Amino acid sequence: MNSNSYFRITIMAILFFALVSVLLKGLTIRKHLDNFYAEEVYNITYKYFFKTNEGKTFVRAFLPKNNNRQRITAEAFEGSKGLIFEKRNDKNNLKGVWLSDQEHKFKSIDYSFTFEGKSKTISIPDSFKSPTAKYNNFLEASEYIESNDSQIDSVAKSLIVNAENDKQKIKLIFNFVYEIPKAPIITLTDAVTVLQQNRASCNGKSRLFVALARNLGYPARIKGGIILEEIDKRTSHVWAEININDEWVPFDALNKHFAHLPANYLELYEGDEFLITRTPNISFDYTYEIKQRSNIPFLKASVSDVSEIVPLTLLGLVEKKIISKSALMLLLMLPIGGLLVAFLRNVVGLRTFGVFLPVLIAFSLQETGYVTGMLLFVFLILFVGVISRPFSKLGLLHTPKLVISLSLMVLVMIMGSYIGLKANIMWLTAFTFFPTIILTISAERFSTLILEDGFQKATGTLFQTLIAVSFCYFMLSSQWLSSITMLFPEFLLVIVILAMLLGRYIGLRWTELIRFRSILNAKTI
Amino acid sequence: MLQKLFRISNPKGVMGLNKRNIELIYAHNRREDYHLADDKVRSKEILHDKAISCAETYAVITNIKDIKKMWAKCEKHQAMAIKPSNGFGGEGIKILKKDEQDNWISSGRKISEDEIFRHITSIISGLYSMSSNDSCLIEECIVPHPFFAEIYGDGVPDFRVITLKNKPIMAMLRMPTSKSDGKANLHQNGVGIGVDMEKGTLTQVYDGKRYTQHHPDNPAIILGKNIPFWNEIMALSIATSKAFPLNFLGIDVVIDRKKGPQIMEVNVRSGLGIQLVNKRGLEEAIAEHF
Repeated sequence: MNSNSYFRITIMAILFFALVSVLLKGLTIRKHLDNFYAEEVYNITYKYFFKTNEGKTFVRAFLPKNNNRQRITAEAFEGSKGLIFEKRNDKNNLKGVWLSDQEHKFKSIDYSFTFEGKSKTISIPDSFKSPTAKYNNFLEASEYIESNDSQIDSVAKSLIVNAENDKQKIKLIFNFVYEIPKAPIITLTDAVTVLQQNRASCNGKSRLFVALARNLGYPARIKGGIILEEIDKRTSHVWAEININDEWVPFDALNKHFAHLPANYLELYEGDEFLITRTPNISFDYTYEIKQRSNIPFLKASVSDVSEIVPLTLLGLVEKKIISKSALMLLLMLPIGGLLVAFLRNVVGLRTFGVFLPVLIAFSLQETGYVTGMLLFVFLILFVGVISRPFSKLGLLHTPKLVISLSLMVLVMIMGSYIGLKANIMWLTAFTFFPTIILTISAERFSTLILEDGFQKATGTLFQTLIAVSFCYFMLSSQWLSSITMLFPEFLLVIVILAMLLGRYIGLRWTELIRFRSILNAKTI
Repeated sequence: MLQKLFRISNPKGVMGLNKRNIELIYAHNRREDYHLADDKVRSKEILHDKAISCAETYAVITNIKDIKKMWAKCEKHQAMAIKPSNGFGGEGIKILKKDEQDNWISSGRKISEDEIFRHITSIISGLYSMSSNDSCLIEECIVPHPFFAEIYGDGVPDFRVITLKNKPIMAMLRMPTSKSDGKANLHQNGVGIGVDMEKGTLTQVYDGKRYTQHHPDNPAIILGKNIPFWNEIMALSIATSKAFPLNFLGIDVVIDRKKGPQIMEVNVRSGLGIQLVNKRGLEEAIAEHF
């Protein structure tokens, strides 16, 4: 058939073009492949300024080391003349020491490096092996971690009254410390003071958490570092680690990371230390300059900007800030999501509200989180469907009625966000992440579907839409997929090919196998 | 595993939506002709043109200012149906009948002329057609043949005949039930009754889940029951399919007590439930005719 050969030639031509382009690019990329798979990449610069005193003046700060979740590259030091820089090992930590003999001079230090980080989540067992003797000093009380103090002791004992195993005990003391109100206290707070004041910042909370853990016989220590964000900041951060079966497990009782360390935590030192130590009584100022870099997990970040080594990618657009990464992702993922929905509709046979609604909702879920987002989505559809019902009964024209539903939708979203803000309920403020117009049309479709086909079929369609949303959500969450689409925009041609093939699929849909089962299987008749 | 999922035993040639769309609708109907079937006023013009029996058109109102003038022409009739030209799912249809005092009755209650005008206005404003305007069709009210009452007395039952290239390939009778609120659609609790097209008789009743030999509200066995005017229904369907440039059609036929078989409407996107009602796939039925 003529149209058949035309169809084949078109597919072959597009496929050929896409393959050649991907192959050529692949050859370049191969040289830069990396198996560290960093999730986030930052450039960090320590910026210190000081005026030297009589005699020798020193500034010391912890420097980052490589470990299995962070990689440090492109280290560079620039400083004023007459500064001596050396690195010293201090137990397990690495220190940078800057020394000057010159008196009454202004000095500046620029120490920069690239950080590639991965998040770390550790699943901890219910019961732990008892710690070996080498961890004994992580059980001892210290000046600010008064783990033997009677107040610490009684709190620890009362918290774990109902605990059945080690994991529960850790969870209980973690929650206790987390619940203590946050306060921006910059002065040093020891564990007992935190108990007495019932408020603390990261250092107080971490000390209390470590003190309680040590009191209960779990080796624990303070960890220090910086939470990396795209800003210049002065605040460093501390959290805690408990040794569980010979592994140091991270706990951040301020930001509620239980046995988890996010990818943007720069680890700098262990132990109850100060990030910076210096000659007392000198004029001193500092800041940490932090820049986030676009990142492809399987390419080395250290080389240079990825767009410079790989031709024809979209990363340049992001690096030059022409388009934000999330906006670009939305553009690129729409066709993939659309293809997935087309598959779910034409091959599986799901009924969904619209083709792109599931994709767009899945995008909103990236912001709100899966469970919260799903609940909010269902709530919005049902609620707006219900409150716009009285207007349907007035016999209004379609378009003005849609405007009413849209207004109600916006009203609900704004009210939700407002109440969320006032009552400090974060998930309520997430309403505004949803694509309002498409959601309104869906709510409208839902309420007319109830009238036309009954509540059962309408909720059936809603439920099947949720299934499609879930599939899209898990597909969109894949960082690999997003990196590959940015590196190889040619995939859009592959989408076209797949859609062409899907567009010719004439087989039964899977749901039709159920619908027609009585006449499909000859045996049942 | 994948092979198993895709290679399904399909001895009766059941057709799914994908295949229906690609091989029947897209292959046999041109997009620009869809409106001939979707727009009731247009399809009735074609039917009247070719002198195919269908409900007599009393009036077509496209402008709100014409309502009073057009209504004057309709008033003399004893009963009528008011329909949106581009409505779907039966929305917006009102049946009017006169009582002994010449009052208009609709859905069992008196309805004033003002209310009728308001209803016509909402039809013309596009309330039932998802668009900004529409035409209102006022036509003769069909009185079902007593044959239908022998099975079930209420509502408007009709035959659905599927034609491909002017050949009727499958048919069913759709009947309301006590649970379906006067509607004959399968998914609104109506039942479908299979038709033996050779003999012109009814076969089994399908309620969406089970097959029986009688209507759910009537214990009388319908298997083998003769359909009156069957040959006329077939001839009417063939004539209709020839009158339209659309080669794959779902034609709805009713039998009027006095005038015999009448075309109710024609559809471009005929549903696939008819296969279940007849326990037979469309592909098999098509293969038999071509």
